[in-house]
Amino acid sequence: MTTAASFDQFDADESAQSSREDGVTTWFTKLLCLLEAIADRANPILVKETRQALKSRQFVLTFLVVLIACWIASFAVVAIAPNVYYGAEGGSMLIVYCAILAFPLMLIVPYSAYRSLAAEQEDNTYDLLSITALTTGQIITGKLGSAVVQMLVYLSAVSPCIAFAFLLRGIDALTIVVLLVYFGMASLGLSMLALLVGTVAKVRYTQVLLSVLLILGLALAFFLSIPLVGTFIYESYSFLRSTSYWVWNLAFFTLYATTFALVHAAASAQIAFASENRSTPLRRIMVVQQACFLGWVAVPLLYENGIREINGAVLVSAIFLGIYWYVMGAMLTSEWPYLSRRVQRSLPQTKMGRIFLTWFNPGPGTGYMFCVANLTMIAVIGLFLIFLFSAVAKNSPSLDQVIYFLTFGWCYIVIFLGLGRLLISLARRFIFVSMTAGFLLHIILLLVACGTPQILAFMSLSGQYYVQYSLLHSSNPIWTLYVLADEGSASIEAFTLSFILVPSALIVLLLNMRTVAAEMQYQRSLLPTRVAEEEALLHPEPEIEPSNPWENPL
Amino acid sequence: MNSTTPNSCHPAERRPLIELRRLYRYFGETRAVENMSFEVFPGEVFGYIGPNGAGKTTSMRILATLDEPTAGDAFVDGFSVIDDPDRVRRRLGFMPDYFGTYLNVNVREYLDFFARAYGLRGKERNRSIESVMEFTMLDRLAEKPIDGLSKGMKQRLCLGRTMIHNPSVLILDEPAAGLDPRARIELREMIAQLAQMGKAVLISSHILTELAEICDKVGIIETGQLLAVGTVDEISAKSQAKSQVRLRTLGDSQPLVQWLSKRDEMEDVLLELGFVAFTHQGGQAEQAILLREIIGAGFDIVEFASKTKSLEDVFLHVTEGRVQ
Repeated sequence: MTTAASFDQFDADESAQSSREDGVTTWFTKLLCLLEAIADRANPILVKETRQALKSRQFVLTFLVVLIACWIASFAVVAIAPNVYYGAEGGSMLIVYCAILAFPLMLIVPYSAYRSLAAEQEDNTYDLLSITALTTGQIITGKLGSAVVQMLVYLSAVSPCIAFAFLLRGIDALTIVVLLVYFGMASLGLSMLALLVGTVAKVRYTQVLLSVLLILGLALAFFLSIPLVGTFIYESYSFLRSTSYWVWNLAFFTLYATTFALVHAAASAQIAFASENRSTPLRRIMVVQQACFLGWVAVPLLYENGIREINGAVLVSAIFLGIYWYVMGAMLTSEWPYLSRRVQRSLPQTKMGRIFLTWFNPGPGTGYMFCVANLTMIAVIGLFLIFLFSAVAKNSPSLDQVIYFLTFGWCYIVIFLGLGRLLISLARRFIFVSMTAGFLLHIILLLVACGTPQILAFMSLSGQYYVQYSLLHSSNPIWTLYVLADEGSASIEAFTLSFILVPSALIVLLLNMRTVAAEMQYQRSLLPTRVAEEEALLHPEPEIEPSNPWENPL
Repeated sequence: MNSTTPNSCHPAERRPLIELRRLYRYFGETRAVENMSFEVFPGEVFGYIGPNGAGKTTSMRILATLDEPTAGDAFVDGFSVIDDPDRVRRRLGFMPDYFGTYLNVNVREYLDFFARAYGLRGKERNRSIESVMEFTMLDRLAEKPIDGLSKGMKQRLCLGRTMIHNPSVLILDEPAAGLDPRARIELREMIAQLAQMGKAVLISSHILTELAEICDKVGIIETGQLLAVGTVDEISAKSQAKSQVRLRTLGDSQPLVQWLSKRDEMEDVLLELGFVAFTHQGGQAEQAILLREIIGAGFDIVEFASKTKSLEDVFLHVTEGRVQ
């Protein structure tokens, strides 16, 4: 090769390297721009809280404690336990690291999320936050995002130790990944619950009480998580390879996701402005959650011989959904009966919309009907299924047991929610009844209905009513339905009871119809002129283009 | 800071940027705000004065969409604070009587957070932060933690936060509380500048002399009721208050003293250091008539001075010092 050629070669190499460097620089600049754009659009609370958290002493201290605890654990095990040199001790080490990780994830992160919201209210910064353009959903999501960032930082502190445990053998990567996903989900769920508690606690003494309860709850979660991690690590080999485990996980994830969405919506509703529609999003999620539940109940029935258990499946589902709708109904029927003008602007206005979506409108009457409609749907589906598969189904529980259970369950909830709603409506004529007070009124009503027959039995001389179920206890739904499910319809004189419960339920339903009808009268109201003006300015109607040369523009 | 375009040029067509319509707010038995109505137009500074517990902060919180009225409504740029709080918030900057600062945050980060929270993005956000820091003279302290700021600087920062999204309406609750004289003068200048930009400013303060200097109109509130609205002169005239008059005659003033003492609308007619001083019942029009009558009676008047009533005088006259 001549000198000139070698120079050319050198130049070519240099220019190739320079173009490669340019390429890398361009790529890096693009990445930076992308990151900048993401940061620019990131939730403002997430940005602020992350900045604050990373500078706070509490965070630095906890991070150091976690890091030092992991180092001490690693050195101690390697120094003291000789097994680590010979056996596959990765699992044991992972339990130790998870116990250390559980402390920030189960305790510190959720409690910090709670404190960050409670502190906003204590320091009066919440007022400043609430008058910005941020929605309540964004505020809650931002706080949650900050919890996730902290979670990831703590995880990064423990990750080298987890890698060390993996290298010690005895634990596979899948188990570690699944375990960390569970940890993340648990911490996120607890943070979400803590935020809900933070929105509820508005008065100082409530804050103190809820704060103590929250710490106790989080401590319990922390202590429970350690044995659960141990069990999971030692048993994972068998069930991680089972299909049903993953199906159950999927079902659990559905339940987790819908509950998470429900709690998120509830927390957002708690801090929303009074004229906002706080009920409709919650009702939508409730319907989705119910649909998911019913879908997952149907899955085992598809397996071989699963359909034989249809009666039991319907009964168990009815118990869960009955409790669910009673609790939700107790809150929905405690809502304020008047719709703000803002809510009235977004009411359904088409005929189909008014038929099907009116029940999603806020209000105690629509709330009552929403629960009754869902319960009726559950009862009808249940009855349809047990009749459809009556030929192949096992007779345990028997057909009449399930039919009575569905009917009486429906009647009890209709009666209790209806009476509770009427009582709240009566009380509101004299005093202000908040949603919490309304909910408590429902619970007191249930306790009175359960306790009164017992008191009467105590007062009777013979005392026989105390030990045995009789029609006197028919006002006690829990005992009645328990005896029905456990001992059969004859034990509760179901036929006679149906003549008491069904007419009572229908009467209570009719008594509530006045309010329901009044709430159905609401119609969509027009936009105020000023709002319409601004909307026209912000979103002008597109100009109609002529479709052919002969058509004049309008 | 960018100026806010007033919503109309012609005064008759001008829409008020702040409007309270028969506003009520009860807390149990306490009537914090009762039947309150007034308007503030673009470029106006409206002073809100009243004793502690009069209902100033309550009505300001309602305007700021932090509280709901028991009855009535309030509007910001035509949008109801009850029905359209989101639209109101975009147009309104509220500076409460507390700082509301965060720990472990510096001045720039604080303003950046609120700029983001008001939906400002990218360069627009940076421009807004820079201009607010320049306006409030906080640019030198951009990297300083908020905890280390003096009270006056914190007050500036809070004003900066209030203006970060360039709102057309500013509600300032006791902005001058605890400030030193220099800071007060600077704050007063800032408020005057904001009004020149076309913003409507509603400001409450206990320091009445300051309000009198910067306010176009004042509203006097006591026990939740708006007792008087208008310029200081208008309120003074409406209130039919007494005024102090001093005059000097050529030669002996004793005959004038005697002449004045005979009249019913005069009180405390005295001869002080060559001046005749008396308390006169009536406004400026009545004083003009009186002067004409004195001259008509043959007195040679060389000096006639009526003491203009201060906002403090008007306030003390209009209010009765009631509390609930």
